[in-house]
Amino acid sequence: MESNIYEDNTSAQELSARQLRHLAWRSLLLQASFNYERMQAAGWLYSLLPGLRYIHKNKKDLSKSMKDHMEFFNTHPFLVTFIMGVILAMEQKKEDREAIRGIKIAMMGPLGGIGDAMFYLTLLPITAGIGASLAIEGNVFGPIVFLLLFNLVHFGVRFGLMNYGYKMGVKAISKLKEGTQFVSRAASIVGLTVVGGLIATYVAFNVSYVWKSGEAELAIQADVLDQIMPAMLPLGYTLLMYWLLKKGRSPITLIGITVIVGLLGAYFNIL
Amino acid sequence: MLLEALLIALWAGIVGIDLFNGLTHIHRPVVTGLVVGIILGDVTTGLIVGGTLELIWMGMVPLAGAQPPNVVIGGVIGTAFGIIIGQDPNVAVGIAIPFAVAVQGLITLFFTIFSPVMHKADQFALEGNYKGIERINYLGLAILFVFYAVIAFLPIFFGAEQASAYVETVPQWILDGLSIAGGIMPAIGFAMLLKIMMKVEYIMFFIVGFVLAAYLNLPILSIALIGLAIALYDFYQNKKGNNNSGPREEEITDGI
Repeated sequence: MESNIYEDNTSAQELSARQLRHLAWRSLLLQASFNYERMQAAGWLYSLLPGLRYIHKNKKDLSKSMKDHMEFFNTHPFLVTFIMGVILAMEQKKEDREAIRGIKIAMMGPLGGIGDAMFYLTLLPITAGIGASLAIEGNVFGPIVFLLLFNLVHFGVRFGLMNYGYKMGVKAISKLKEGTQFVSRAASIVGLTVVGGLIATYVAFNVSYVWKSGEAELAIQADVLDQIMPAMLPLGYTLLMYWLLKKGRSPITLIGITVIVGLLGAYFNIL
Repeated sequence: MLLEALLIALWAGIVGIDLFNGLTHIHRPVVTGLVVGIILGDVTTGLIVGGTLELIWMGMVPLAGAQPPNVVIGGVIGTAFGIIIGQDPNVAVGIAIPFAVAVQGLITLFFTIFSPVMHKADQFALEGNYKGIERINYLGLAILFVFYAVIAFLPIFFGAEQASAYVETVPQWILDGLSIAGGIMPAIGFAMLLKIMMKVEYIMFFIVGFVLAAYLNLPILSIALIGLAIALYDFYQNKKGNNNSGPREEEITDGI
């Protein structure tokens, strides 16, 4: 087991406002390399990279940190800068790597939900609604008004949260400096609680098959599986994937299996 | 028609990137309507069709990462045909929807095929090769651009009827199957997280999080807050134990 502590343990110099702005710009490419295995991980690393290089002058530490940030990551693309700010503060203070990972994972799930509610269910319908109602009347300002309103909030939030997250992170860490090992334990607790919730919420695995015998109908999902335990299939499938990973199967194999499951399920009308 | 089709393809490539990166939302049909209208020389119709598509497709947003029918191709092809054929917007929607659904399936496929590239990225990360990481991201952008540009160009250049007929030869179960697989796919990501984070002592918190979501249907934020409450309790208990009664563990062993 390799060490969770950076070789060079002295805090790096604080990032300037200009550097933070630069990183916020880079966060626009968070999903450039989106894929099902790591989701936003490579884009997340891309967004942080200049910051990490500034913080970790030690080659080995930079490599460790880059490797950590290539792990699965997925959050809301607008609110990601808040997590970036906090994580950069932690990296700068050379926090325990396990604590950094725990905090990152604990934040990504909730922010995903908040971002959906804020941007896709509130801001977009309102601004696009205004824009579309103007456009339907043939008014050229429809699309322009939409873009201005939407992006005023979008970029305000993106750049604001970067600063806010970083300042908050720096402050919180100096308060928590004693007892770092407890911080990483606490972060892992929140992280795993959230992952448990994410599995039940975001893995969509339902049986659509309805068993019929004469008049009787039995919906397998609602009448059988949900009665035993809701979200049983998402949990079961995730644990199966976990087990296969531990057995040394590569994520690519698992993705292949999942595609086959989906295709077979659709072909036989089961899923 | 070649110049117009090329310009529309260029626009589709740009907004195809914007759908996932940049997110300035120039990819929404209300904006695409204006731009395609300018390219095809009929701004008013473009605006009307774009505005109508916008209202119809308001809900087509990637909630929780699930891919909705593709609003980029739907918007581009819908407005282009609305103007070219001079149909009313609702017919344009009817033409655009099969394309939007087919592209949704292709995007799912692309997200699957791009996964192996992550192992190259792992290697770059290990070597501290930041340029390599950047190249991988630029490669993703380039593929998205070309993909959207080609998909938009073909039907506009060759005509809607041929293109529609071709799209409809793809069996429905393949599209459905890809979308089902896309819904299950996050399980792999979560399994990878579990592999990194899970320790026996943490299993209880994982169970709590799952039960809160599965049985009580609590939103993730509330689950995170409950997790935070547990973590804070744990943190202060540990700290107390650490400061006040340093040799606590010894005491217990002595007792036994």
